[in-house]
Amino acid sequence: MDLLGILAQLVLDASASWLRMFIALGISVALGFGIGVLAATSRNAERVLLPVVDVLQTIPILAFFPFAIFVFVVILPGYIGINAAVIFLIITSMIWNIIFGVYESVKTLPNEFLEVARLYHFDLWTKLRGIYMPASFPRMVEQSMLSWSIGLFYLVTSEIFSIGNLRYSVTYGIGSGLVGLAAQGIGNYLLGLAVFIVFVIGTRLLFFKPLEDYSTRYTRLHAKPGMRSYEKALMDIIGMGMKTRYAKRIGVVAKDIRVLRKGTTGTAIRTVPVAPKPSQDMGRIAYSAIGLVALAAAAYIIVTNPTLLGYEKLVIPALGASFIRVWGAFAVISAISVPVCVYFIFISKRSQHYLLLFQILASIPATVLLPLIAQSLHGNGELVAFAVFMLSGIWYMIFGMAASTRTIPQSVFEVKRLFGVKGIYAWRKVYLKALLPGFITGAITGIAAEWNASIVAEYFTTSGISASASGSAVISSVGTGIGKLLDTSILPGGLGLGLMIIALLNIVVMILLLNTFVWRKAYRNVAKAYG
Amino acid sequence: MNMISVEDVTFAMEGSDTNIIDGVSFKINKGEFVSIVGPSGCGKSTILRIIAGLIPPSSGRVRVMGRGIEGPSKKLSFVFQDFALLPWLTNIENVKIGLNLSELSEDEKDKKASELLDRFGLSGFETYYPNVLSGGMKQRVGIARAVASDPQILLMDEPFSSLDELTAETLRSDIVYMLENKNISVNSVIMVTHNVEEAVQLSDKIIVLSNKPTKVKKILSIKTGRPRDKRAASFMETMDLVYAELAK
Ligand SMILES: Nc1ncnc2c1ncn2[C@@H]1O[C@H](COP(=O)(O)OP(=O)(O)O)[C@@H](O)[C@H]1O
Ligand SMILES: [Mg+2]
Repeated sequence: MDLLGILAQLVLDASASWLRMFIALGISVALGFGIGVLAATSRNAERVLLPVVDVLQTIPILAFFPFAIFVFVVILPGYIGINAAVIFLIITSMIWNIIFGVYESVKTLPNEFLEVARLYHFDLWTKLRGIYMPASFPRMVEQSMLSWSIGLFYLVTSEIFSIGNLRYSVTYGIGSGLVGLAAQGIGNYLLGLAVFIVFVIGTRLLFFKPLEDYSTRYTRLHAKPGMRSYEKALMDIIGMGMKTRYAKRIGVVAKDIRVLRKGTTGTAIRTVPVAPKPSQDMGRIAYSAIGLVALAAAAYIIVTNPTLLGYEKLVIPALGASFIRVWGAFAVISAISVPVCVYFIFISKRSQHYLLLFQILASIPATVLLPLIAQSLHGNGELVAFAVFMLSGIWYMIFGMAASTRTIPQSVFEVKRLFGVKGIYAWRKVYLKALLPGFITGAITGIAAEWNASIVAEYFTTSGISASASGSAVISSVGTGIGKLLDTSILPGGLGLGLMIIALLNIVVMILLLNTFVWRKAYRNVAKAYG
Repeated sequence: MNMISVEDVTFAMEGSDTNIIDGVSFKINKGEFVSIVGPSGCGKSTILRIIAGLIPPSSGRVRVMGRGIEGPSKKLSFVFQDFALLPWLTNIENVKIGLNLSELSEDEKDKKASELLDRFGLSGFETYYPNVLSGGMKQRVGIARAVASDPQILLMDEPFSSLDELTAETLRSDIVYMLENKNISVNSVIMVTHNVEEAVQLSDKIIVLSNKPTKVKKILSIKTGRPRDKRAASFMETMDLVYAELAK
């Protein structure tokens, strides 16, 4: 194929993918707004919705993807079914941020505004249109940008997912397109990657930037002279490619992306799943209730159907193997991200530049890089899986820690300087302590992201699929793992739906147990210590 | 004529047994400017919101022109300390909120809102957002919104306390003008304030509240006509009286 043909194909692929993303974003915003407003305005709804949303966002949604495909493809004709499944999956990754954003905006509305609404007898529609919608609009835009980054990971992943599968696959998509190009050689693949990144930046400039400008129109006095319009920023981005020195280039990218990303916090982080205080007891009860229901369902299914007992024998070792990979990768991530954060947040004078660099890197989904990773690791399955785990989890940790240090008053650092606190003492008494809350929130979301990645990483390392999914590189299979199990269960010759449901139930129970006994406790201790 | 009667009103937060307001009664007549003063946190804002129908009393009742109240009514309007302008609406749209219940057509609402802004010296700022305005201008928009629906009673919760003294003085005379002008619907004003001089300068009646428990300590009547000379001996005397009550 000639270059133009490849480009045309890529643009077509990316457009199809972006159409899926926009549909998912539209649905997420509409649903997220409704649920967020409901949770913020009705005490009863708040009690039910918050814990449920809280639980749902820590469950590796991707685990449900093979199941979702299965269901959607059964219900809907193949072509629509697979697209519905992909869109559904993206929604499940996008919506939580938006719900929390709307919830917080409405919750923090000045009481006087609601009194105005009551004084002048606003009906429901006027209240939605006149107060809740404009009040949550800025946060919705901000959270949508975050959701977009997270959604891209799911988009690419789910598109690639559908490839190895003969029964259902997306016809057009940048994820599948990239894999196809990788099979033709590294040059074509890099071209595809470039198109992908152009689409990412283009969306930011042409879609989100105007929305962002609109959402802050009433907080600006006048359009400040010297403030760049998005066309100007676009010109800068194009012009930046001509700068020669690499170091200089990073600086320019950072500066421009700051224009692009103004107001957002870390690209790849979900909002931290901390249940607001009043609902904590309810949260625990809801956790226990959902856990018990899941346990009871699992027990019932297993007891009434003895063949399923055999499935458990497959599932538990698989879950164990994945568990070791996830937490092993987490240990390495921690060992890297903590010093990195201490350096770039507290020590470096260029914190902002590093943050922006990380934000750019984080907006490239790990799965897009899979062919590169596979090639550089010589197709070793375990190593590839490990790399994907790390790339998926590390940004949550870094951005989590960065976000948590933003609220530290400047005076803390002045005290440190005044009293000459330095060296190991500074690490122990200032840096690590300052990072701890962010470390925990980052760990919660990062490990959830790793579990999601396990479904992907182990899938690609499943023999028979790897050749088609990773382009040219053949990746060896991982021994066993929950992702591999889920993926293979619905392949032709797999053990089928029963095994899949058992595996899902096991995952949910495990996550709930970890949430209750590890994370909640850790969070409570930190909250107690930090007031 | 009796405009408002507050009859033995008590109020406690939901689920708490300590009363924030503990049996408060007073009456307000047509044409009166009434101030409520009292220590900070004693429940002044709460009483005003109960009168406005924004929160229900725990016991007792409020009657507006002889009738019990169910919720906010068109007869009363409210001016907030921090203006409570919706930041995402332009100034004219904010004033039009006051006309939400009116039968006027959209064009007529625009016309009326624009006239009101003009009357308060804000013509030319119709399509700006409140955030470009100074505090005094914002409160004018707030007052324009409050009087847009032609209410008879104006409730004001520390309306001038976040403004500079010069601006506050102009707005005070605007309010008095509206109260005394027969062509303008407003015929009674209740103002919560912690500024004793302001209360003595404007009020026909000053209601002094006590704290813990919150009760009516004293109701002072001032008979001299407005405008009042702040340096007059009688003015000073009245102020001393109010301070003495507050300190008691
Ligand atoms: N939303 C609330 N929650 C708990 N306490 C409140 C709330 N609003 C008011 N209070 C309490 O009620 C009392 C009266 O408040 P307020 O009417 O605002 O007083 P004032 O306007 O006289 O300063 C205060 O002691 C305050 O602490
Ligand atoms: Mg008050």
